[in-house]
Amino acid sequence: MEPIDFNRDIRPILSDNCFACHGFDAAARATALRLDTLEGATEDLGGYAALVPGNPQASEILARILSTDEEMRMPPAESHKKPLNAKAVSLIRQWIEEGAEWGKHWAFVSPVAAALPATATHPVDHFVEASLHEQNMKLSPPALPHTLARRLAFDLTGLPPSSEEVAALTDSPDSAAWSRWIDRLLASPQFGERMAMWWLDGARYADTDGFQSDATRQNWPWRDWVVSSFNANRPFDEFTIEQFAGDLLPEATDEQRLATCFHRNHMHNGEGGRDPAESRVDYVLDRTNTMGTLWLGLTLGCTQCHDHKFDPISQRDYYSLTAYFNSIDEDGKAGGGAKPFLQYRSPLAKQAVLESTAVLRKMERQVEEAKEAAESAFTASLDQMLVEARTTFQPWKVIQPASLRTTEGTVLAVDAEGMIRSNDSGQYQDDFVIEVPADTIDRISGIRLEVFADEQHADAKYSYAASGEFILTNVKLQLRSRKTATIVDLPLVRATASVQGKGVDTKYGSASGTLDDDPRTGWTTRTKPVEPVQVVVFELAEPIELSQDSVLDVVLLQRSLAPRELIGRFRLSVTNQRGRAVRSLDPMPMEQLAKRITDYESETENVFSAVDIPADLRSRLFDQYLADDPSWREASRLREQASRQVNTAKSAAGDLRVTVLSERSEPRKTHVLVRGVWNQHGDEVQPGVLTAVLPRSAAFSGPNASQDAAGEIASRLELAKWIVSKRNPLTARVITNHVWQLFFGAGLVRTPNDFGLQGEMPTHPELLDWLAVDFMDHDWDFKHLVRRIVTSRTYQQASHVTPALLEIDPENRLLARGARFRLPSWMIRDASLAASGLLNRTVGGPPIFAYQPPGVWQDQFMGRFKYESTLGPGQYRRTLYTFWRRSSAPTFLFDSAMRRTCEVVPRRTNTPLHALTLLNDLTSLEAARALAERTWVGNLSTDVELYLSQMFHTVLSRFPSDHERQVLVREYRQAEDYYQTDVAAAKALTSVGQLPEPNESTISELAAQMMMASMILNLDEAITHE
Amino acid sequence: MNNCSTELQAAFEQTRRYFLGQSGCIGLGAMALSTLMNEACNADDNQSVAISRNGQGLPHFAPKAKRVIFLTQSGGPSQIELYDDKPGLKKLAGQKLPDSVRNGQRLTGMTRGKPQLVMPAHSVFRKRGQAGATVSDWLPHIAGVADELCFVKSMVTDQINHAPAMTKFLTGHHLTGRPSMGSWLSYGLGSENRDLPDYLVLLSKMKRGSDQPLYDHYWGSGFLPSVYQGVKLRSAKDPVLYLNDPEGMPRHLRRNMLNGLNELNQIRYEETGDPEIETRIQQYEMAYRMQASVPDLTDVSDEPESTFQLYGPDSRRPGSYAANCILARRLAERGVRFVQLFHPDWDHHSRLRSWCTARCRDTDQASAGLIKDLKQRGMLDDTLVIWGGEFGRSVAGQGKWDSPEGGRDHHPRCFTIWMAGGGIRPGMSYGATDEYSYNAVVDPVHVRDLHATVLHLLGIEHERFTYRSQGLDFRLTGVESSRVVRDLIA
Repeated sequence: MEPIDFNRDIRPILSDNCFACHGFDAAARATALRLDTLEGATEDLGGYAALVPGNPQASEILARILSTDEEMRMPPAESHKKPLNAKAVSLIRQWIEEGAEWGKHWAFVSPVAAALPATATHPVDHFVEASLHEQNMKLSPPALPHTLARRLAFDLTGLPPSSEEVAALTDSPDSAAWSRWIDRLLASPQFGERMAMWWLDGARYADTDGFQSDATRQNWPWRDWVVSSFNANRPFDEFTIEQFAGDLLPEATDEQRLATCFHRNHMHNGEGGRDPAESRVDYVLDRTNTMGTLWLGLTLGCTQCHDHKFDPISQRDYYSLTAYFNSIDEDGKAGGGAKPFLQYRSPLAKQAVLESTAVLRKMERQVEEAKEAAESAFTASLDQMLVEARTTFQPWKVIQPASLRTTEGTVLAVDAEGMIRSNDSGQYQDDFVIEVPADTIDRISGIRLEVFADEQHADAKYSYAASGEFILTNVKLQLRSRKTATIVDLPLVRATASVQGKGVDTKYGSASGTLDDDPRTGWTTRTKPVEPVQVVVFELAEPIELSQDSVLDVVLLQRSLAPRELIGRFRLSVTNQRGRAVRSLDPMPMEQLAKRITDYESETENVFSAVDIPADLRSRLFDQYLADDPSWREASRLREQASRQVNTAKSAAGDLRVTVLSERSEPRKTHVLVRGVWNQHGDEVQPGVLTAVLPRSAAFSGPNASQDAAGEIASRLELAKWIVSKRNPLTARVITNHVWQLFFGAGLVRTPNDFGLQGEMPTHPELLDWLAVDFMDHDWDFKHLVRRIVTSRTYQQASHVTPALLEIDPENRLLARGARFRLPSWMIRDASLAASGLLNRTVGGPPIFAYQPPGVWQDQFMGRFKYESTLGPGQYRRTLYTFWRRSSAPTFLFDSAMRRTCEVVPRRTNTPLHALTLLNDLTSLEAARALAERTWVGNLSTDVELYLSQMFHTVLSRFPSDHERQVLVREYRQAEDYYQTDVAAAKALTSVGQLPEPNESTISELAAQMMMASMILNLDEAITHE
Repeated sequence: MNNCSTELQAAFEQTRRYFLGQSGCIGLGAMALSTLMNEACNADDNQSVAISRNGQGLPHFAPKAKRVIFLTQSGGPSQIELYDDKPGLKKLAGQKLPDSVRNGQRLTGMTRGKPQLVMPAHSVFRKRGQAGATVSDWLPHIAGVADELCFVKSMVTDQINHAPAMTKFLTGHHLTGRPSMGSWLSYGLGSENRDLPDYLVLLSKMKRGSDQPLYDHYWGSGFLPSVYQGVKLRSAKDPVLYLNDPEGMPRHLRRNMLNGLNELNQIRYEETGDPEIETRIQQYEMAYRMQASVPDLTDVSDEPESTFQLYGPDSRRPGSYAANCILARRLAERGVRFVQLFHPDWDHHSRLRSWCTARCRDTDQASAGLIKDLKQRGMLDDTLVIWGGEFGRSVAGQGKWDSPEGGRDHHPRCFTIWMAGGGIRPGMSYGATDEYSYNAVVDPVHVRDLHATVLHLLGIEHERFTYRSQGLDFRLTGVESSRVVRDLIA
């Protein structure tokens, strides 16, 4: 029988079943008995003891575990834990028999590198093969060269290799070539981007505060700092120290201060009623917990409210740690108030300015082109305009309502001129609903409401209320379908009024308040001189053409707090003119034209003709004409968007305010917070490190003491140096484990966030320790650590799995095969951009807005934020740079970290929603078309097989088998057949995103090629780390 | 389990444990596959209890409710204006709230330091139905179905700001990172419908920028695998994000393409032996089925005129709360486990007389219509409907107490919710507050008690329903003790 290893075999059982009540947390102990220490377990309990080493019969613990008496049995029923199984019982019995040897928890003992035999070819393989050997197993054969090339490229850069790179490696597969390839990948700027994505998830980096106001931040230069740190291979201890305490370093540079943004990446709560003092405490705790998870693999959050149930960390220890972060010169405010800030200018914003300016120029040209294209048609239409102006043109057509209704019972009556009167029946509030007959006008682009003063009203004003005033709280335009019973609110985008007054409730006044569906705002003319008529004009977002299939209602909501201030006499009119005509109360250009004609012809004997139109009026008529021209409208919409994009880029290139750390002059006192409540102060504590992990004295003594922090005052700098002290048993192991997890899909410790007693033991403890020591011995050389791992045969073996292997080791804990797992969604996006040739490899700079379906932000914020996807090359930047709104993460990133708190465990699920994303996301579709065009390069070759194979190779780095090629060709032919019969469908499919108009002559082929590209990009192999 | 062999189940359980177990690092595809198998098995036998999930033997006992419709009123509806009638407040109008009543209750930054003067309800109350529940005239339709409802007037939370309070209300903890109730149930009980997600979320479409955004963690799966997160059903061209194939891609061509894709994936599966590929094939197939099942769900043209009359005029406007109530019923009909509506802007710091009544108009008729509709279809018995927000509002006026512009600040110590169906006792008002509607003084029900009770109705013992994360066994009701409120159960 194999001897018992306490840490491996016994502690997990005790921890799981006993420590909650007999563990480190004194307050939670059910009795005085504690089982987390040898002393506690063997303590004399009055003639007997829980544990008597060597004597299972005398050990009460075993008796209680085995008791059949419900009252006596441990763990007790009320804990909802199951009785221990036979295996656990026999392990405990054997352990006691063997003398109940106790051990310190493995992770709290400094790692030691086991000596390698001279025969060992690679340290990683030495340890892995040793454990495989015990199971009579061995490593799988090496992965095929193209698979290995892909694996390395994804792991080290997050991008697939190019076809040329794969070809070079498959042709000369000697180890020197591979070694050079690895070095090239490590030296590429994409290495830093790839590692940064890992680090940002842990750092809970986002571009907004989160919470209610979710204000936008300017912390992206910190992201660039991370990228450049990895690329420059900044030693990990230095990388750590600068993020904890860059500001405290002697003669700190701006970059070192910038690094401390790490500890300000937490969410900021700017909710109205929120106490900033409470928020500030939250932030201090968040920093502490993040440090615990990311560097130490400890679940420190557990000790916020009480001593840790499992790990030897007291609540007091925890608050001593928080003390390091408690004197930041911050006050808990969010947004612009979230001091301290570093004023910073990024050298990396220039590219965004250049790119966006070029886009704007292009859009401006397109506007001009659209204008020129419209000019001749406009000129040709002038005569027709003259005819209309002389005859049928009516600027506003009065509505003769088809029906009149109210919600609360006011009675409306209309006369032959369309004048509508309400009666004086005393309703406090009401909604007037006026149905517009379908034959009123060809289309409606604007609505005019005229409110008339009347002798019958109080003070001859506008209503029967005592005040004589009215308040129009909201206006809705509702289109009711006669067929489907649905109602659509047609959006109104602007309200322009003759005058705006001020209500008794001063929120009432502006006519724009009628557009927001908020009864607390609205239009009133109170406080302004009474006029015979007051006017307001509403512009529709899009003109609506009426038909007999639907009914259009104008709804005038009058839901103010001022009783009975309901409009007494009014009239509604509509127009079909767009642009300025519905944005001002001035005469419309056509109206001016009509007047001009009349004036001209009364002043002279001549007949007015197009040449007589004065230049300024002609230009206004042209503007009016353009307002209706679809190409010009689209071009000018894009121009406006491009111009906003330039402004954003320019401000990103200017002075930025990055949230960073700096100490306040007067340190705050730190207290234990009773039950973790922010204002329930317990004992005062001083800054202090975790003694159970590494006592301060041990961290800062010994031969290197002078270089270390001996004598350092208690500061964040001390804390950082303690973390990266080579005697700290956790940091190097935890970081090594993170890196291992990046490449193998799972860590050597399967609980990367918990190296404590409840965490899992490493699958290969000696390997983890060897790598951790090696990492530190090489002065925390990060690229060295990476190279160590990826040069091993363990890393390089094939990832195929046999039923036998799946049976023996479904989770691949023994590492008898390579790791096969789905790529993170960000890598899938980057890979398809790379394969399609669309990828923009610019490194660093302000965030971009990758495609996301319209309306997602509006849904959640009811319109407060609007998402505009980036125009131009910025769209094709790597996912790392995409804007991350904390409360609405990018929709195309499934299974991503939430970026709210530190996360180090990857999510990896497989759902239909992921399939839909990869099939239908705009980025995927653009990539598919670009990949098709890139492969066929405009050729209409008959050799479809060849091109399909090539496209397959571009994505998968290998050529298809015969069987695969048959499937590809078959599918292609089917698609091609279809698109040849339906060219319109081909056009619709290939007109995608920002890509230029497809070439009409080969459009059916292009559609079929694009569909094939999409299919290949969706293959399991394309989205999997093999 | 008519058609499912025991071996298959055993294999399924084993796979499930491997992939679900303590490590979150492994592909969860096998689990999703098993879920599909599970559903396929159950499709033949709706009465049979779903295969034990995660080895926890769920449900623990016969459930009274099979599904939940949660009508979430975000922002904190005023119990004082809507349900908790305190006629005595008229006499106390304008008086200072006694310190003995306030008893150290913290205030938000909006009213701290301001005098706490009593503002009586702006609405008028009447006793409703046989049971005589008090519902104000601002909710005439809900008043009309009062005998179907169970009002809990002594709800208590411990959070005073929106995001933490809503997070607590939905996930049991005020910090983000825990699964929401719908995710827990999706994880624990799975779905009865293999063409739709288990947990669907519908947000009311509003014109105005809301003061309380609806964070996606409100329906997030926290530490549970993300397959259990709520899926937003939007009123848009794509009701589910990315649902529609691009223009120019007809359905038959998509079918062809998926056939080709599946065939190539199958080849790869045979080469690599990775069962995750088989799962992927299944997921692409389910995606294809969803492309048909979701539009079938959201297309309400098959609803008779009477439906719209029942749910009110706003139900004709897609995306409105009322239209979402109709969709909730259609989802319930299709066996979806957890449907959650969100209606924002119940945060009436000022002008509640116009602002709160606006929300009442948005929601009153449709909420009542849903109850009537479920009842007439015989579905109310096994569908639990919950109406409520994250906290209540204070008796003290915010702004001027005697002005129509007055409002109320947040208040955690008491609020009212109601429930109906799914084993809840109808026609009941449970618990009571003091004369100020300030403290829950009779039978307080903490948010975690509500969670325990809801789980109970679904056949789950809350203390035994756990998920291991970071070495701890988490549960919806958290570590503090909570009780199933048995008096609420019929």
